[in-house]
Amino acid sequence: MLLDEKLFDKFGVEYEPNDIIFCEFEPGNDFYFIQSGRVEIVKIINNREKTLDILGPGDVFGEMAILEEEPRSASAIAIEHVKLLRFRRENFDALLQGNPQLAYKLLVIFSKRIYDAKRRLMILLLDDPQLKVMDVMNMLAEQDPHLDVQEPVTLRVTVQEIANWAGMQINDVQKILTHLNKLGKIELFNDRVVVRNIRDFQRLVNSRRKSMYA
Amino acid sequence: MSNGSPTQGITTRTYKPGSIVYFENDKSENIYILKSGLIILTSQKLETGEEVKEEVRPGEFFGVKSALGRYPREETAQVIKESVVLVLTLADFERLILKNVNVVLKMLRIFSNQLRRIGRAVREVLGETSTINPEEELFKIGEYYYRAGRFNQARYAYNKYLDYYPNAKYSDLATKRIREIDSGQAESNIAPQPVKRKEVEPSTEELKDFTLDEDIDSMPANESVVDEMDDFLGENDSASSDFDIADESPKHEDISSMFYDAMSLYSQSEYESALQIYKKILNQKSLKNDAENKIYQKAHFEIGRTYFKMGQYNEAIEAFSLLMKKFPQSELNVNALYHLAMIYEVKKQFDKAKSYYQKVISLAAKEEIGKQASRRLKNLESR
Repeated sequence: MLLDEKLFDKFGVEYEPNDIIFCEFEPGNDFYFIQSGRVEIVKIINNREKTLDILGPGDVFGEMAILEEEPRSASAIAIEHVKLLRFRRENFDALLQGNPQLAYKLLVIFSKRIYDAKRRLMILLLDDPQLKVMDVMNMLAEQDPHLDVQEPVTLRVTVQEIANWAGMQINDVQKILTHLNKLGKIELFNDRVVVRNIRDFQRLVNSRRKSMYA
Repeated sequence: MSNGSPTQGITTRTYKPGSIVYFENDKSENIYILKSGLIILTSQKLETGEEVKEEVRPGEFFGVKSALGRYPREETAQVIKESVVLVLTLADFERLILKNVNVVLKMLRIFSNQLRRIGRAVREVLGETSTINPEEELFKIGEYYYRAGRFNQARYAYNKYLDYYPNAKYSDLATKRIREIDSGQAESNIAPQPVKRKEVEPSTEELKDFTLDEDIDSMPANESVVDEMDDFLGENDSASSDFDIADESPKHEDISSMFYDAMSLYSQSEYESALQIYKKILNQKSLKNDAENKIYQKAHFEIGRTYFKMGQYNEAIEAFSLLMKKFPQSELNVNALYHLAMIYEVKKQFDKAKSYYQKVISLAAKEEIGKQASRRLKNLESR
């Protein structure tokens, strides 16, 4: 989807390679639509820059600024020469009126965001650390709709990532994973975890969730 | 009830009271509009498990979010009064709403409110509500890029910091940093390292899903294990490690975070404390990988540079010499030689200073450091 060229005269901005478009923790007022070029979304985690996503023409970013002025949760950096449309919160309605396609796109983005956030909240609300770790694996398995849960399931995830999802210390996650590994429930590699029987994990987490509410 | 073809046109279904349009956890890409009748959506509040019921009125959509986001239904849709429902595929829905942008705007507002509410709940569970100070964090982003030698990005963050916080804790330091960057002094302040951008990780689907993650380590781990858990896990609960991810000894500290702590202390002129950490890094017995090995080398250099800043020149010379002896191939050695030259210049041992500047020039004539060395050498020779 490309937007009307005329919009570029009004809202267009350009960036050179390696320019920061916005920076993590900076208050956010604008959101962006990519006309051409690629943009990298990065976050500094434990003193390392981590790439969260790479976006290209037709993609939207910074859309959380539509809600309210909140600090940015990640930085956006131009990978190459980039042409963007920059929109302020104030002229959001007018913009979408003229560009229903963009409105639809945002609707899809928000739907996904809401689900991801809810799913994470479900993990965080579990009161047992081992179940949290298991539920992170359940969540990762859910993300692949074609996964055969009857078979051992391979999840591309690191201990650090599991710890982030579960809101736990990396050492605690490691202990739990070691333990599950010893019991033969999972097999651990540097960049992935193989779960022998993910339905076991799902069953445990679900029954705990039910009893939490009882 | 007709099923119609999934891609062609909108179909109409009639439901009797008590029947179910879809169950929670069903997967489907259909979106519905209630034409007439009454339907109730039942879901559970995540925090409390409390049942939430929501009425769908004629003319309203339901099943939108899960279809668009392609995830399981979060609610059960039950028919209360005989109902006529329009069934839309995603393509139908898209066509329909593109003609009714106001509907999209209304949905967007509802969605964004939900997202905000969930975001708040997540932060609350993580105990993050008060811990993050965006002012300080913004400055730290500048510091990160500064130390990485990515000065344009550092300058951006410092400038934004000054825009938003002109008279705050780090305003002076931010101003100073910008000046250092603009004058080129920053280049010689930091250990030379290739200023190229790091390799970009492949943009896979799972990376995308980490956009919401935060750098959290504040959750105390709860040790309780439920009965059925015991049953499942067996009784042996010792967590001794015998495979690769967990085989670091508990004493092994995260070298890179130590290093950056020390850099940060250095940048705040806390030289003694910085030195202590660098020396701790030198005492690490095992280095896990190449990245740690590089930091280990850099720590040698940084000790020299810190002593240099403190005016303890003999200690600095010792540190730089140790670096070059232990790592004769290190790319840091040029900068170490440059520092040695500066030290001898300060100590007024000009011949030694000159010969070190010459070495720098011979090793890095075309680089900034080589050019600086030849400027300084010229200065010395014109005395």
